[in-house]
Amino acid sequence: MSVQLPEEIRPVLDNGVPAWVISCSRDGIPNTTVLSEVFFVDRERVALSFQFFNKTIRNIRENPHACVLLNDIEGCSNWLLQLRYDHSETEGPIFDEMDARIEAIASATGMSGIFKLKAADIYQVEYVERLECGQATDTVTADGKSGTR
Amino acid sequence: MIPEKIAHFLESATVAMGGTRDDNFIPHAHRVSGWKMGPDEQTMTCLVAEGFTKNLLPSLEGNGHFALTVCEVPSHETYQFKGSYIGSRPIEQEDLSVYENYRKRFVERVCGLFGFSEDTVRSYLPRPALAIDFRVREIYLQTPGPGAGTRVVPREE
Repeated sequence: MSVQLPEEIRPVLDNGVPAWVISCSRDGIPNTTVLSEVFFVDRERVALSFQFFNKTIRNIRENPHACVLLNDIEGCSNWLLQLRYDHSETEGPIFDEMDARIEAIASATGMSGIFKLKAADIYQVEYVERLECGQATDTVTADGKSGTR
Repeated sequence: MIPEKIAHFLESATVAMGGTRDDNFIPHAHRVSGWKMGPDEQTMTCLVAEGFTKNLLPSLEGNGHFALTVCEVPSHETYQFKGSYIGSRPIEQEDLSVYENYRKRFVERVCGLFGFSEDTVRSYLPRPALAIDFRVREIYLQTPGPGAGTRVVPREE
Protein backbone atom coordinates (compact mmCIF):
# COMPACT_ATOMS: atom_id res chain seq x y z
CA MET A 1 0.00 0.00 0.00
CA SER A 2 1.43 3.38 -1.00
CA VAL A 3 1.45 6.48 1.15
CA GLN A 4 1.73 10.10 -0.01
CA LEU A 5 4.95 12.01 0.40
CA PRO A 6 4.38 15.33 2.21
CA GLU A 7 5.21 18.53 0.34
CA GLU A 8 7.89 19.53 2.88
CA ILE A 9 10.05 16.58 1.87
CA ARG A 10 10.67 18.04 -1.60
CA PRO A 11 13.49 20.45 -0.64
CA VAL A 12 15.17 17.68 1.36
CA LEU A 13 15.20 15.43 -1.70
CA ASP A 14 16.90 18.26 -3.61
CA ASN A 15 19.36 19.42 -0.92
CA GLY A 16 22.40 17.65 -2.41
CA VAL A 17 23.28 15.91 0.87
CA PRO A 18 23.87 12.17 0.32
CA ALA A 19 21.28 9.78 1.76
CA TRP A 20 21.52 6.22 3.06
CA VAL A 21 19.85 3.08 1.79
CA ILE A 22 19.52 -0.18 3.68
CA SER A 23 18.57 -3.34 1.81
CA CYS A 24 18.46 -7.02 2.75
CA SER A 25 19.52 -10.12 0.83
CA ARG A 26 17.37 -13.20 0.46
CA ASP A 27 19.64 -14.76 3.10
CA GLY A 28 18.62 -12.03 5.52
CA ILE A 29 21.88 -10.07 5.63
CA PRO A 30 21.35 -6.27 5.83
CA ASN A 31 23.43 -3.96 3.66
CA THR A 32 23.98 -0.25 4.31
CA THR A 33 25.30 2.14 1.70
CA VAL A 34 25.53 5.81 0.77
CA LEU A 35 23.25 7.09 -1.96
CA SER A 36 24.06 10.25 -3.87
CA GLU A 37 20.44 11.30 -4.28
CA VAL A 38 16.82 10.18 -4.04
CA PHE A 39 14.65 11.46 -6.89
CA PHE A 40 11.04 12.55 -6.57
CA VAL A 41 8.86 10.85 -9.20
CA ASP A 42 5.40 11.69 -7.85
CA ARG A 43 3.65 11.84 -4.46
CA GLU A 44 3.71 8.04 -4.14
CA ARG A 45 7.01 7.11 -5.81
CA VAL A 46 10.70 7.89 -5.71
CA ALA A 47 13.58 6.71 -7.90
CA LEU A 48 17.00 5.49 -6.82
CA SER A 49 19.92 5.40 -9.21
CA PHE A 50 21.38 2.11 -10.47
CA GLN A 51 24.99 2.96 -11.35
CA PHE A 52 26.91 -0.21 -10.53
CA PHE A 53 25.62 -3.76 -10.17
CA ASN A 54 26.39 -3.54 -6.48
CA LYS A 55 25.10 -5.35 -3.44
CA THR A 56 22.13 -3.02 -3.02
CA ILE A 57 20.94 -3.75 -6.56
CA ARG A 58 21.44 -7.50 -6.10
CA ASN A 59 19.55 -7.41 -2.81
CA ILE A 60 16.66 -5.41 -4.25
CA ARG A 61 16.27 -7.89 -7.10
CA GLU A 62 16.02 -10.65 -4.44
CA ASN A 63 14.00 -8.76 -1.83
CA PRO A 64 12.13 -5.61 -2.94
CA HIS A 65 12.13 -3.87 0.45
CA ALA A 66 14.43 -0.90 1.09
CA CYS A 67 14.78 1.67 3.83
CA VAL A 68 16.05 5.15 2.94
CA LEU A 69 17.20 7.81 5.37
CA LEU A 70 17.32 11.40 4.10
CA ASN A 71 19.50 13.97 5.83
CA ASP A 72 18.00 17.41 6.46
CA ILE A 73 20.85 19.16 8.26
CA GLU A 74 19.35 22.63 7.91
CA GLY A 75 15.98 21.43 9.23
CA CYS A 76 17.68 19.41 11.98
CA SER A 77 15.81 16.25 11.06
CA ASN A 78 15.88 13.02 9.10
CA TRP A 79 13.24 11.50 6.90
CA LEU A 80 12.75 7.76 7.07
CA LEU A 81 11.19 6.08 4.04
CA GLN A 82 10.19 2.45 3.69
CA LEU A 83 10.14 1.58 0.00
CA ARG A 84 9.18 -1.31 -2.26
CA TYR A 85 10.92 -1.76 -5.61
CA ASP A 86 8.52 -1.62 -8.56
CA HIS A 87 10.45 -1.50 -11.85
CA SER A 88 13.50 -0.06 -13.65
CA GLU A 89 13.59 2.49 -16.48
CA THR A 90 16.57 2.79 -18.85
CA GLU A 91 15.20 5.63 -20.98
CA GLY A 92 12.63 8.38 -20.83
CA PRO A 93 12.24 11.63 -18.87
CA ILE A 94 12.91 10.22 -15.38
CA PHE A 95 16.09 8.47 -16.57
CA ASP A 96 17.31 11.55 -18.45
CA GLU A 97 16.74 13.87 -15.50
CA MET A 98 18.49 11.50 -13.10
CA ASP A 99 21.42 11.09 -15.49
CA ALA A 100 21.92 14.86 -15.76
CA ARG A 101 21.67 15.42 -12.03
CA ILE A 102 24.06 12.60 -11.19
CA GLU A 103 26.64 14.04 -13.54
CA ALA A 104 26.18 17.46 -11.91
CA ILE A 105 26.69 15.96 -8.43
CA ALA A 106 29.73 14.01 -9.65
CA SER A 107 31.30 17.14 -11.10
CA ALA A 108 30.67 19.11 -7.92
CA THR A 109 32.27 16.42 -5.74
CA GLY A 110 35.25 15.65 -7.93
CA MET A 111 33.86 12.25 -8.97
CA SER A 112 33.06 13.03 -12.60
CA GLY A 113 33.27 9.99 -14.86
CA ILE A 114 32.93 7.53 -11.97
CA PHE A 115 29.16 7.68 -11.73
CA LYS A 116 27.28 6.39 -14.78
CA LEU A 117 23.56 5.76 -14.64
CA LYS A 118 22.47 2.31 -15.82
CA ALA A 119 18.82 2.58 -14.79
CA ALA A 120 16.34 4.56 -12.74
CA ASP A 121 14.86 2.15 -10.21
CA ILE A 122 11.31 3.17 -9.33
CA TYR A 123 10.00 2.47 -5.82
CA GLN A 124 6.60 2.78 -4.17
CA VAL A 125 6.67 4.65 -0.86
CA GLU A 126 5.07 2.48 1.82
CA TYR A 127 5.92 4.53 4.90
CA VAL A 128 7.35 7.97 5.62
CA GLU A 129 8.27 9.56 8.94
CA ARG A 130 10.10 12.72 9.93
CA LEU A 131 12.49 12.29 12.85
CA GLU A 132 13.55 15.52 14.50
CA CYS A 133 17.04 15.55 16.00
CA GLY A 134 17.15 16.19 19.72
CA GLN A 135 13.44 15.57 20.08
CA ALA A 136 13.57 11.82 20.07
CA THR A 137 10.50 10.05 21.27
CA ASP A 138 12.12 6.71 21.88
CA THR A 139 14.85 5.85 24.30
CA VAL A 140 16.27 2.71 25.82
CA THR A 141 16.38 2.28 29.54
CA ALA A 142 19.16 0.70 31.53
CA ASP A 143 17.36 -2.63 31.56
CA GLY A 144 17.49 -2.66 27.76
CA LYS A 145 13.77 -2.10 27.22
CA SER A 146 12.45 0.37 24.69
CA GLY A 147 10.22 3.06 26.07
CA THR A 148 8.62 6.39 25.29
CA ARG A 149 9.33 9.65 27.05
CA MET B 1 41.10 -9.13 12.24
CA ILE B 2 40.42 -5.45 11.56
CA PRO B 3 43.52 -4.32 9.63
CA GLU B 4 45.61 -1.48 11.02
CA LYS B 5 44.83 0.75 8.05
CA ILE B 6 41.10 0.40 8.66
CA ALA B 7 41.56 0.85 12.42
CA HIS B 8 43.20 4.23 11.71
CA PHE B 9 40.41 5.07 9.29
CA LEU B 10 37.84 4.43 12.02
CA GLU B 11 39.49 7.04 14.22
CA SER B 12 39.24 9.76 11.59
CA ALA B 13 36.03 8.88 9.71
CA THR B 14 33.16 11.32 9.67
CA VAL B 15 29.80 9.61 9.46
CA ALA B 16 28.24 6.16 9.89
CA MET B 17 24.94 4.35 9.58
CA GLY B 18 23.78 1.05 11.02
CA GLY B 19 21.43 -1.40 9.35
CA THR B 20 19.32 -4.27 10.63
CA ARG B 21 16.41 -6.30 9.30
CA ASP B 22 13.36 -7.70 11.06
CA ASP B 23 11.61 -11.09 10.93
CA ASN B 24 9.87 -10.07 7.68
CA PHE B 25 13.21 -9.19 6.03
CA ILE B 26 12.30 -5.49 6.14
CA PRO B 27 15.52 -3.43 6.50
CA HIS B 28 15.82 -0.66 9.10
CA ALA B 29 18.19 2.32 9.41
CA HIS B 30 19.84 3.36 12.67
CA ARG B 31 21.77 6.62 12.86
CA VAL B 32 25.05 6.27 14.68
CA SER B 33 26.60 8.90 16.97
CA GLY B 34 30.02 7.35 17.43
CA TRP B 35 31.89 4.07 17.07
CA LYS B 36 35.06 2.39 18.26
CA MET B 37 37.01 -0.79 17.67
CA GLY B 38 37.26 -3.23 20.58
CA PRO B 39 40.64 -4.07 22.16
CA ASP B 40 40.49 -7.56 20.60
CA GLU B 41 40.44 -5.92 17.12
CA GLN B 42 37.54 -8.21 16.17
CA THR B 43 34.61 -6.41 17.74
CA MET B 44 33.15 -2.93 17.44
CA THR B 45 30.97 -0.77 19.62
CA CYS B 46 28.41 1.31 17.81
CA LEU B 47 26.61 4.18 19.59
CA VAL B 48 23.09 4.28 18.20
CA ALA B 49 21.59 7.76 18.28
CA GLU B 50 18.54 8.93 20.18
CA GLY B 51 15.47 8.48 18.03
CA PHE B 52 16.94 5.62 16.00
CA THR B 53 16.54 2.61 18.27
CA LYS B 54 13.10 1.68 16.94
CA ASN B 55 13.18 -1.93 15.62
CA LEU B 56 16.81 -2.23 16.72
CA LEU B 57 16.77 -4.66 19.64
CA PRO B 58 13.93 -6.87 18.34
CA SER B 59 15.83 -7.25 15.05
CA LEU B 60 19.20 -7.90 16.68
CA GLU B 61 17.80 -10.31 19.23
CA GLY B 62 15.75 -12.03 16.54
CA ASN B 63 18.47 -12.71 13.96
CA GLY B 64 21.73 -11.07 15.13
CA HIS B 65 22.67 -9.46 11.81
CA PHE B 66 24.17 -5.98 11.92
CA ALA B 67 25.76 -3.86 9.19
CA LEU B 68 27.68 -0.66 9.84
CA THR B 69 28.91 1.60 7.05
CA VAL B 70 31.51 4.22 7.95
CA CYS B 71 32.44 7.04 5.59
CA GLU B 72 35.03 9.79 5.52
CA VAL B 73 34.26 13.09 3.85
CA PRO B 74 35.44 14.73 1.70
CA SER B 75 37.56 11.76 0.49
CA HIS B 76 34.50 9.42 0.18
CA GLU B 77 36.61 6.55 1.58
CA THR B 78 34.00 4.11 2.86
CA TYR B 79 33.95 0.65 4.47
CA GLN B 80 31.07 -1.57 5.49
CA PHE B 81 31.41 -3.84 8.52
CA LYS B 82 29.09 -6.84 8.67
CA GLY B 83 28.81 -8.89 11.79
CA SER B 84 26.94 -10.59 14.56
CA TYR B 85 25.28 -8.94 17.51
CA ILE B 86 26.93 -9.59 20.87
CA GLY B 87 24.93 -7.38 23.22
CA SER B 88 23.79 -3.91 24.16
CA ARG B 89 24.16 -1.63 27.17
CA PRO B 90 23.28 1.89 28.27
CA ILE B 91 25.60 4.74 27.37
CA GLU B 92 28.57 5.23 29.70
CA GLN B 93 30.81 8.24 30.34
CA GLU B 94 33.54 6.89 28.04
CA ASP B 95 31.00 6.61 25.22
CA LEU B 96 30.23 10.31 25.56
CA SER B 97 33.91 11.07 24.88
CA VAL B 98 33.68 8.98 21.71
CA TYR B 99 30.54 10.93 20.77
CA GLU B 100 32.20 14.30 21.41
CA ASN B 101 35.22 13.37 19.25
CA TYR B 102 32.93 12.20 16.46
CA ARG B 103 30.83 15.37 16.71
CA LYS B 104 33.91 17.58 16.50
CA ARG B 105 35.13 15.81 13.32
CA PHE B 106 31.69 15.87 11.75
CA VAL B 107 31.17 19.60 12.39
CA GLU B 108 34.63 20.50 11.03
CA ARG B 109 34.23 18.55 7.79
CA VAL B 110 30.54 19.03 7.02
CA CYS B 111 30.47 22.79 7.66
CA GLY B 112 33.20 23.28 5.07
CA LEU B 113 31.61 20.94 2.56
CA PHE B 114 28.02 22.18 2.60
CA GLY B 115 28.37 25.69 4.02
CA PHE B 116 26.17 25.20 7.09
CA SER B 117 26.89 27.08 10.31
CA GLU B 118 28.60 25.22 13.16
CA ASP B 119 25.54 25.61 15.40
CA THR B 120 23.28 24.11 12.73
CA VAL B 121 25.50 21.08 12.21
CA ARG B 122 26.16 20.58 15.92
CA SER B 123 22.47 20.52 16.74
CA TYR B 124 21.88 18.03 13.91
CA LEU B 125 23.87 15.34 15.76
CA PRO B 126 21.73 13.47 18.28
CA ARG B 127 23.30 12.09 21.45
CA PRO B 128 23.82 8.35 21.67
CA ALA B 129 21.05 6.35 23.30
CA LEU B 130 22.37 2.81 23.30
CA ALA B 131 25.71 1.03 22.77
CA ILE B 132 25.68 -2.03 20.52
CA ASP B 133 28.59 -4.48 20.49
CA PHE B 134 29.04 -6.71 17.46
CA ARG B 135 31.65 -9.14 16.17
CA VAL B 136 32.98 -8.15 12.73
CA ARG B 137 32.85 -11.06 10.29
CA GLU B 138 33.43 -9.24 7.02
CA ILE B 139 34.63 -5.82 5.83
CA TYR B 140 33.81 -4.46 2.37
CA LEU B 141 35.33 -1.54 0.51
CA GLN B 142 32.55 0.87 -0.46
CA THR B 143 34.49 3.86 -1.71
CA PRO B 144 32.66 4.92 -4.90
CA GLY B 145 34.24 3.47 -8.02
CA PRO B 146 34.83 0.16 -9.77
CA GLY B 147 36.35 -1.46 -6.65
CA ALA B 148 33.28 -0.76 -4.54
CA GLY B 149 31.88 -3.95 -3.06
CA THR B 150 35.21 -5.77 -2.84
CA ARG B 151 35.55 -7.78 0.33
CA VAL B 152 38.75 -6.83 2.11
CA VAL B 153 38.30 -9.00 5.23
CA PRO B 154 38.55 -11.90 4.79
CA ARG B 155 40.27 -10.98 1.56
CA GLU B 156 38.62 -12.31 -1.62
CA GLU B 157 40.54 -15.15 -3.35
